[in-house]
Amino acid sequence: MKAGTSLTVMPVRESFLSAGRLRKIGLTITVFLAPFVLYGLFLLCYEVNPIELYWSMLKSTFGSLFGFGEVLLKATPILLTGLAAALPARAGLINVGGEGQLIIGALFATFAAVFFLDSAPSWVGIPLMLVFGALGGAVWAGIVAVLKTAGRMNETISSLLLNYVATHTVSYFVHGILKDPAAFNWPYSPQISWQLRLPTITGTRLHIGFILAILLAAVVWFILSWTKLGFNIRVLGGNKLAAQRTGFRINWMYVWVLLAAGALAGIAGMIEITGIEGRLRSTTGVNYGYLGFLAAWMAWNHPLRLLFTSFLLGMIAVAGNTLEIGSGLPASSVQILMALVLFFLMGIARRLRS
Amino acid sequence: MIITDILTGALRSGTSVMLASQGELISERAGVINLGMEGSMLAGALGGFAVTVWTGNPWLGTLSGGLCGLIISLIHSFLVLSCGANQLATGLTIMFFGIGVTSFFGRSFVSEQIVGFNPVPIPILSDIPFIGDVLFNHDPLTYLSILLVPVLWYVLFRTRLGVIIRAAGEKEDVLFASGINPLLVRYCAVLAGGFLAGVGGTQLSVAYTHSWVENMTAGRGVVAVALVIFASWRPAMAMVGSYLFGAAQALQLTVQQQGWPISTFFLFMVPYLLTLAALLIVERRKRSSMPEALGNVFSADAGG
Repeated sequence: MKAGTSLTVMPVRESFLSAGRLRKIGLTITVFLAPFVLYGLFLLCYEVNPIELYWSMLKSTFGSLFGFGEVLLKATPILLTGLAAALPARAGLINVGGEGQLIIGALFATFAAVFFLDSAPSWVGIPLMLVFGALGGAVWAGIVAVLKTAGRMNETISSLLLNYVATHTVSYFVHGILKDPAAFNWPYSPQISWQLRLPTITGTRLHIGFILAILLAAVVWFILSWTKLGFNIRVLGGNKLAAQRTGFRINWMYVWVLLAAGALAGIAGMIEITGIEGRLRSTTGVNYGYLGFLAAWMAWNHPLRLLFTSFLLGMIAVAGNTLEIGSGLPASSVQILMALVLFFLMGIARRLRS
Repeated sequence: MIITDILTGALRSGTSVMLASQGELISERAGVINLGMEGSMLAGALGGFAVTVWTGNPWLGTLSGGLCGLIISLIHSFLVLSCGANQLATGLTIMFFGIGVTSFFGRSFVSEQIVGFNPVPIPILSDIPFIGDVLFNHDPLTYLSILLVPVLWYVLFRTRLGVIIRAAGEKEDVLFASGINPLLVRYCAVLAGGFLAGVGGTQLSVAYTHSWVENMTAGRGVVAVALVIFASWRPAMAMVGSYLFGAAQALQLTVQQQGWPISTFFLFMVPYLLTLAALLIVERRKRSSMPEALGNVFSADAGG
């Protein structure tokens, strides 16, 4: 099943069953199995039966509607932050700031929900929260854009550093003016009112945010692949010099692409608040930004392939919960599994592409 | 008094970043960006701490902390140099991996106590008012790290070895033509960098905080990478930048002790904001000093 998802990721270039293609398939299967074997050995050291564990992981993700919903739930923010990395990447920018953009989006959305939209009806409140979330992410990415265009600062480093600033900014708010007066010393915001929560699908915790995420992925794909704007973005990413000679307003494009990316990540933050948590904590959405970047990398920055890679990472993340409950290993051990999967993928990426 | 505190703290808390940034500098001079420094530092912090707990000997801890950092950077160098993986994506995964691995293996060390390294005042010199406190009353790793900077400068810019390292980052074909394998040079540089980052992590856990906390480096590895750019790939400037970061960290403690009405969360941000500001100031004149091979990393599409 894991191999199947990855094959769809590969572009079709040759006849279906050529020798080269078969070799690639073999390589892909090996690479997808290897980390699980390695991780199995690791589990054996802790006296956990890996086969049983993998089986229960599979059951927890595909065995029930609830489990499957959980996978989609985890995949949703990864997909959105993945788009926030993939879109700038097509313009030649490396945005590693999804983490900060997400949480600032969550901050803006919560702020609006708590202070302005408390009694607003759903059809006004939720779209407005979305706007605020997108705005928050865009503001945070806007800092990167200004540093990039006006200060000529490398966006990789600045976006990474701003992630730490973002975390402390949110801590400041949840310890300060956004702190829930009813919670004695716990640093989190008050619960947002019930009509601002996203409707969920019966029998799961899955909310309609994931449909929005898929729609946004489709929109980004459409713009990139089928419009003049998307063509221009790809030209800029492919050959900056050519874009310059053609007379593109490069800095202008950088700013807009980064703002759009930030808005996408900010929406992920808003969805986390209104769809799942209901309140802002300083740990809201931790790691989703990095996972999104890695999902985008795995998808070679293609929005539709990103659907599969974010699903895959979402699956491993949910399986990690099983791991925690079923075997008593801490949640961090799933980070090890995820990193192993990525290491093997990175090891062969170059060979698969050529 | 406050100024003495901040400056002393700048050295004490900046040393970990400084060691990591010198390591990153070696690696980048040879043409490899290692965003996984965060992972190496964490591994070093835990490895060094664990061995110090087991043996009671902080020097053994330092050595094994360095080795842990080296092992983590081995993953990076293998994937990047032998498999041609994207440097930024790999580095980020390593960071992720480092956080996961150390919080997994570090659980049992969270409440451990150690003696570790403690400040050793240098006789006579430490009696000088002001300067004595700031410069000559530190843990052994801090002294060693200060000595490292001129040594590294000398090696990089005055020896044949330094020429070889820099050639790997600038003109690898020339190096190849002169009969030296640039790949090997890069491997060594990245591993050396990982070792230093590991020692930096050890300084943090064994000499500075005397404890292990999950994800205790809190972005110091990322800051180290940023400081190398700030320093235009020069060891002395990287040292200055690191102490600046350290001073901002020390400021937090001082402000808390003095009870000044500044939000702690704002103070937490200051080191990162300061790093950003420092980068912004030097950004305009640094392009020419960037090792050529690094240019390819930043301009290649992120998916490569």
